[in-house]
Amino acid sequence: MGESESRVILFDDVSAGTFLDAFRFIGDNGQLIWDKTVEQLALSGAALGVAIAIAIPIGVLLGHWHRGSFIAINVSNIGRALPSLAVIAIGISIFGISFTNVMFALVVLAVPPMLTNAYVAVDEVDRDVVQAARGMGMREHDVLFRVELPLSTALIFAGIRTAAVYVVSTATIAAIAGGGGLGDIIVNQASYRFEGVLGAAYCVAALALLADFSLGGVQRLLSPRGLRRRPVVDPEVATAQAFGH
Amino acid sequence: MSGGGGPVIPNFGSASHCITNNDLFCTDWVRSNWSSTLQPALLDHLKLTAIAVVIGFAIAFAAAVLARRLRFFEHPFTLFSALLYTIPSIALFQVLVPFTGLTETTVEIALVGYTLLILFRNTLAGFRAVPDDVLEAARGMGLHGREILWRIEVPLALPSIMAGLRIAVVTIVSLATLAAFVIPEGLGRPIFIALRDYFKTEIIAAGGLAVLLALTADAVLVLAQRLLTPWARARAA
Amino acid sequence: MIRKHTRRAVKAAFCISFGVALILGGLAAGAMSATAAQPTVKLGTKNFTEEYILGQLYKQALEAKGYKVEYHENIGSTEVVDKAMTSGQINVYPEYLGTVLSVVFHKTSVPKNPATALAQARALDGKRGFTLFTPTPFYDTDAMGVLNSTAKNYGLKTIADMKKIPGLSICGFPEFQTRYAGLLGLKQAYGITKAKFVPLAGISVYEAMDGKKCIVGDVFSTDPQLAKPSKYTVLTDPKEIFSERSQTVVPIVSTKLAKSLGSKFRQTMDAVSATLTLPAMIAMNKAVAIDKKQPAAVAKAFLKANHLS
Repeated sequence: MGESESRVILFDDVSAGTFLDAFRFIGDNGQLIWDKTVEQLALSGAALGVAIAIAIPIGVLLGHWHRGSFIAINVSNIGRALPSLAVIAIGISIFGISFTNVMFALVVLAVPPMLTNAYVAVDEVDRDVVQAARGMGMREHDVLFRVELPLSTALIFAGIRTAAVYVVSTATIAAIAGGGGLGDIIVNQASYRFEGVLGAAYCVAALALLADFSLGGVQRLLSPRGLRRRPVVDPEVATAQAFGH
Repeated sequence: MSGGGGPVIPNFGSASHCITNNDLFCTDWVRSNWSSTLQPALLDHLKLTAIAVVIGFAIAFAAAVLARRLRFFEHPFTLFSALLYTIPSIALFQVLVPFTGLTETTVEIALVGYTLLILFRNTLAGFRAVPDDVLEAARGMGLHGREILWRIEVPLALPSIMAGLRIAVVTIVSLATLAAFVIPEGLGRPIFIALRDYFKTEIIAAGGLAVLLALTADAVLVLAQRLLTPWARARAA
Repeated sequence: MIRKHTRRAVKAAFCISFGVALILGGLAAGAMSATAAQPTVKLGTKNFTEEYILGQLYKQALEAKGYKVEYHENIGSTEVVDKAMTSGQINVYPEYLGTVLSVVFHKTSVPKNPATALAQARALDGKRGFTLFTPTPFYDTDAMGVLNSTAKNYGLKTIADMKKIPGLSICGFPEFQTRYAGLLGLKQAYGITKAKFVPLAGISVYEAMDGKKCIVGDVFSTDPQLAKPSKYTVLTDPKEIFSERSQTVVPIVSTKLAKSLGSKFRQTMDAVSATLTLPAMIAMNKAVAIDKKQPAAVAKAFLKANHLS
């Protein structure tokens, strides 16, 4: 076991070249980037799935019954205010360290915008239309599923879009808690050097933009021009707020 | 435990069963470490947030006023601030360190960058929301540029500006927890250190403080918004 | 009437923000043109408990002797802290002697004799403008730890026995993957190739092992969790990839700083180092890691008891 050639490690200073080298890092480490991206998407996807299963039914029902407006509307303000690192850390301390627990922290962050949007969407369906439906003899669950929901889809979807972008970006922080994903590279400058950190950062940004773009496209498809309304949690404003954390 | 000739090892004090057992929340630890750990972290956090929002607002406001007059300015500035926004904060901190060192300046530059997009967009949107006939009337009354800005446009833009400030403050409180990556300041520091040792009480205490701080700041700004713009009971974004 | 109110408030806010911006700009500029009568000691530490304690010990001892200390705690791993040294952001930090050779200078074999290791490190770092002060009596090395139940199940005594574990997973700091005192050494010296690595950027390795996130963890030999009676077993390292005895702590100091501050500075640092025996370090680690005392408070008590502050 001879000695390896002695070499002092000196990271390159950040220069204009480093920003471009980051792209080369992505190219050279395709498998690594792919694996980490899949991890991040898996975490985000799982969190969103659970959040949708919780937030949408509750929001829709509250909106249908026109109950709990104060809570339903303010839960998104509270949710938006929650510092993501604090939520993840508290979740871990209460439930321990595991994929499920980091995922639940992300669920806590994803539920508020979806709940509020779902509530407002169903709550604000034109009362006349609902009256007419009832007058025609429709039963309650028909009113909900065949009248209110179709008219609310676009707005509900806007909430899902906001939450999706937020969760995908916040999953980066989950790396600190062992959650995996591209954050693993970003917090590990020691192993991956600046090019790696920047490359992974580009990927996170691209992922978030992709999520926003594709869901935005679906949202536009779902909302017939005549029915577009301004959502309470404005996806553009909230998207602007959600990026990058 | 001092051996002959070895150093004196003092008694560092015992810890309650709650602490050594790593129970969920030990109030005795919080009480004895409030002034040494939690309070300074909280105050530093407030300081970091306040500086970032104040400077960010100054820049965004000036930029919005500029964009108001020079149409072409809006797009590049929006693009610039949006680009800053999409960079994950931990990455941005690391990029700045070689230039501005492991200092508060590094953190503040990044935090200010994150406020720009939302404050700029909301301020500009607020200005844009001023009806044209109001401006016409003002000019008709003989008011010129700066007077129109301060006496008409800014007050009418206040609801939108306040909405932006509210989002910005809350966002920065959250981001400032990550400042501990660079400097040992802010509530992120006890959170990071406690995560390493998995010390539940400290995680919950510091994390809880961060959550409380964010919610309180949000509530205070809602109140300020109601006080400053009582005519605008419109729901803010 | 309200408009006037508001207008004034906004004007005031605007002026204040510009004022603050100007002041901060001025302060930053002032800070950068620092020409103190005596150069500032910029002390940094790595990112784990023992380093926080060491940092506080040196910091408070220096301050007690009148030196001005700028403290940068928790900068990161060796790779990152070394960069902070070479770029001048810090000029002192406590490092482990073996790590200097294996991580900074990429040696695959660290001398088993600490004195030889020290001479080698001094020669190599001297060329970079760094001086190594006197090392501490205690040493702290990386080690492979497992739960007692795991050791019993697979009959694990040494690191080579790790090959017996099906689905082997190892947790550690991210840089463990790229170091010889890490995955590289496990592969090259012990032939352990089929290991899944779980990077722990922010959580405790003991928590990870308890939570079954991994079977083997990268632990430190002075961790209080390993003091008997312990839930964990440490596997022996006959091929010495973790270079145990050479892992004493030695302050790495910028030669320029050492020269300008003179022998009194060196003596202050060396006096602290001399008191750091293994029992002392383990006791302090226990106070911080188990009893959750603040590193600053623990360091203060220790220095006071030994008349160093």
